[in-house]
Amino acid sequence: MRRSRECNGLEYYLWLFTRLSAILMLCAGAAGIVYANMWGRSVMDASAQYRWAFFPIYWHVQNTDVPDVFPLWSNAFWRVWCTILLFVASLHGFNGLRVVAEDYIHPPVLLLLVKGLIALLFMFVCGAGTVIIFEWF
Amino acid sequence: MRLYHASFCETLRYQGGIGALVWILHRITGVGILLLVSMHVMAAFFMNALDDPISTAITRWYESRPVQVFVYFCVLYHALNGLRILLEDLYPPLLRYHRELIWLQWAIFIPVFGLPAFFIARGIVVSGS
Repeated sequence: MRRSRECNGLEYYLWLFTRLSAILMLCAGAAGIVYANMWGRSVMDASAQYRWAFFPIYWHVQNTDVPDVFPLWSNAFWRVWCTILLFVASLHGFNGLRVVAEDYIHPPVLLLLVKGLIALLFMFVCGAGTVIIFEWF
Repeated sequence: MRLYHASFCETLRYQGGIGALVWILHRITGVGILLLVSMHVMAAFFMNALDDPISTAITRWYESRPVQVFVYFCVLYHALNGLRILLEDLYPPLLRYHRELIWLQWAIFIPVFGLPAFFIARGIVVSGS
């Protein structure tokens, strides 16, 4: 599993970030599923479980069977929490895509283009997600 | 040092045993999650901003049963395999039991994926559609 490319500082910190963000996302997903199934009034369907596991913010989970979502899950804390989760997850994912691209794309110019595209997509997903979370449209 | 570059198809044909299989599956499921989640975020954004029919169609497709099963496969596999890599990196003596850990991972994955996937595919835990 170890990568045999040269290890400069940034590469090491991204490697470490991938592990640490994995811990965060595993804990957040498990906590969301446990909360939803403790307080849900009936057995939840698959999409409701997904909504709670990935993104517990009120507009995302208000159609699920958990009561009192609106006052409890709509405050600033959960919006900031979801924004952090979105940024961490996007960086984890797009950094992983960069590693995959570096493995399969060999021409340097093409690789640079693809990495630029990945960076643009990363920024767009983060920006669009923040707009949705804070309902700025 | 000369690095050997293997293409994606060569990697699939590589007879490296269980380790190569879990490695390439980790990549495929990771790219799958990234694709689906990015698509979901963008469709939600454009649906709210423009209310266009393409985003609505993408969201409807996203909530269909095969996609739900695929998302579940990707997320569960990536989470379990990532957890195994995490444990091995945090506590390297576990690498002695690398193969056993992979089999343990499959022993957890198959029932935890199979049972809910069966229910989703039969429409037992999916309301609405």
